[in-house]
Amino acid sequence: MNLEKVIAGFFIILALTMNFGFFYGDPTVLEQHNRYELFAAIIVNLIATIYKLGDKTQLGAVLLATSLVADIQLIGAASIWALGEYVTGMNTEVVTAIISFSGGALLANITSVVLFTGDVLKSKR
Amino acid sequence: MGNNSLFLIIKRMRTPMFVLVITFAISILGMVLIPGVDDQGRPYHLSFFDAFYFVSYMATTIGFGESPYTFTYPQKLWVAFCIYLTVIGWFYAIGAIITLVQDKVLAAQIALAQFQRKIRKMEEPFIIFVGYNSMTRQIIDHLSKDGIRSVVIEKDEEKIKELSLENYTIEVPALAGDIRDPKIFKTAGIHKRNCRAVVSLFNDDAMNLHVALSAKLMNKHVMVVVEATQDEYGQNLKTIGADVVENPFKIVAKRVYLSLTSPSLLMIEQWLYGDPLVLRRKDRLPKEGKYIVCGYGRMGTALEVGLRRAGIDYVFIEASPEKAAKARRGEKVMVGDADDKKILLKADVQEASCIIAATKDDLLNLSIIMAAKRINPEIYTIARENHLADTVVFKAAKIDRVIMLETLMINKTYNVLARPLADRFIRLMAYRGESWGKKVVDLMKNHINNNPDTLETRIDEEHAYALVRHIEETKEEVPYSILYRRRDDWRKENPMLILYIRRGEEEHLLPDPSLPIRIGDEILFAGTKEAFEDMEYIMENIYEFYYVMQGKECELSLACKLTLDF
Repeated sequence: MNLEKVIAGFFIILALTMNFGFFYGDPTVLEQHNRYELFAAIIVNLIATIYKLGDKTQLGAVLLATSLVADIQLIGAASIWALGEYVTGMNTEVVTAIISFSGGALLANITSVVLFTGDVLKSKR
Repeated sequence: MGNNSLFLIIKRMRTPMFVLVITFAISILGMVLIPGVDDQGRPYHLSFFDAFYFVSYMATTIGFGESPYTFTYPQKLWVAFCIYLTVIGWFYAIGAIITLVQDKVLAAQIALAQFQRKIRKMEEPFIIFVGYNSMTRQIIDHLSKDGIRSVVIEKDEEKIKELSLENYTIEVPALAGDIRDPKIFKTAGIHKRNCRAVVSLFNDDAMNLHVALSAKLMNKHVMVVVEATQDEYGQNLKTIGADVVENPFKIVAKRVYLSLTSPSLLMIEQWLYGDPLVLRRKDRLPKEGKYIVCGYGRMGTALEVGLRRAGIDYVFIEASPEKAAKARRGEKVMVGDADDKKILLKADVQEASCIIAATKDDLLNLSIIMAAKRINPEIYTIARENHLADTVVFKAAKIDRVIMLETLMINKTYNVLARPLADRFIRLMAYRGESWGKKVVDLMKNHINNNPDTLETRIDEEHAYALVRHIEETKEEVPYSILYRRRDDWRKENPMLILYIRRGEEEHLLPDPSLPIRIGDEILFAGTKEAFEDMEYIMENIYEFYYVMQGKECELSLACKLTLDF
């Protein structure tokens, strides 16, 4: 057992589940989506990204790329939220944008987990 | 491999970044959760954006005050905690960056990446030197003055620092690394088309063999120049295809032999190595009488061959009985310390004409010479000097002839690399004998001067544009004597002499000037600097060439001249 693999795996999967937790619910109703969950998803995603840094393999590069995509999508969602709250005012359009951004991040996170599990299965030890 | 340093940085920055993210997350979350009171006394919660904004400027210790409303005490308590938390996080991250910059592994990786970039960008021919010492330093210096680039591989990083302080005319990229690592040659660019040669001049023959072997395996077209002082290694090196195997002791023995049998050839050889074309009185070794050689090691055995061939009576003094036992039957080898007066007297030093101190210990050599001179002040003294650092001491000792092995190797290697024709000429002329040598010396002295320069050139588009075009277009034979003509008056001749022409497999020593020029000829000239300048103009410039050919100025218009039809 490789401790570094455990930690990395933990954060990668936690990033996916947090992301899903925020995404799940009616995409037009903001009350069904918890702001703390988005915050946690962003933090966990950032940590997962850090753990993927510095891996020189081909797989490591793709994993890092998916993570960066997820980061950008989630931070994008948070920025739109801030924009909606303080600048334009909340309406259905803004709410759907926030949720669909986090949905995009969710896809990237799913890819990341699939790749990670695939790599683990492929290795013989 | 090229961006290893980048990966190293990223990997090292993982923990500091992790710490930063965590401290920020805790601070922001706390700021959001703890309720505050606005200016109208109503309770409120900071939004995530407010908290992020506040923590961002607090953590970097910029400090803009409390926002959006003045904080309550619970909030202030939390902020006080956050200040320390985030500041520690930042300091840790900054500290990690500073440690990283000072990191040796990173520095080595960055140096390696820079070296590789230099090698990749290098387009002119270059020579790889393995090991940086007093010998290679001087060779590199000579070469860089000639515009030939060098690359150094050296194990000791201190020496590389030394190299970087040296003021070479051209930049010399250096790589720290052990030659036993096969990747090191590849990094140094041995597989590149413009890598001309690999030079290894270690004192250790086994090391040289190792270098030669790996160099030949990596690129069999590259020229390998190595030093080998023992015959068995010399044989091995020839088998694996080393192009030039240098043995300083054999050079010494050959010179002693030459100065006894054909001093003119010795004079030419020394001149080609950079000495003036004169034979000083002390260059003449005594031909009569007995020679005493101290030390029956590598140099002693080499000298033995030279002395025997020259028909000189000699005796050896060797301190180690094992080495003395290696002598062939019939050789006179006495066992004992050569600076011991008794042994010297036993070897008839008062009758001997010459003493050669040939041990590998410089101080011992000096004391041998001093002891011998005390007994026989008339004796001709030859001493071997092993290290360039001892030059001053040897100068003070007033020895007739000092043989400096390092200088010999420097000159020889430089000639092989930069003046291959001169090197070949030296080898060929050894078979010609004294009378031929005397003829060449007389020719040079009468025709040119007492210390002519040399020039090596090649008849090709690059060095002889006008000449090559003329030969190609007219198919007419041009003799070498054309190149002798003077540019100010074509009827007169410049003081020049062709020593050697290489034409593929054909080799001409001291050819007749009426020999026709062929494209691709490689020529070694002796002459004055002015004569060389004239010759180069004639070879390269169509106007000058037309003048010396026809004896008159070119009258055609410029456009006609460019399409050139004589």
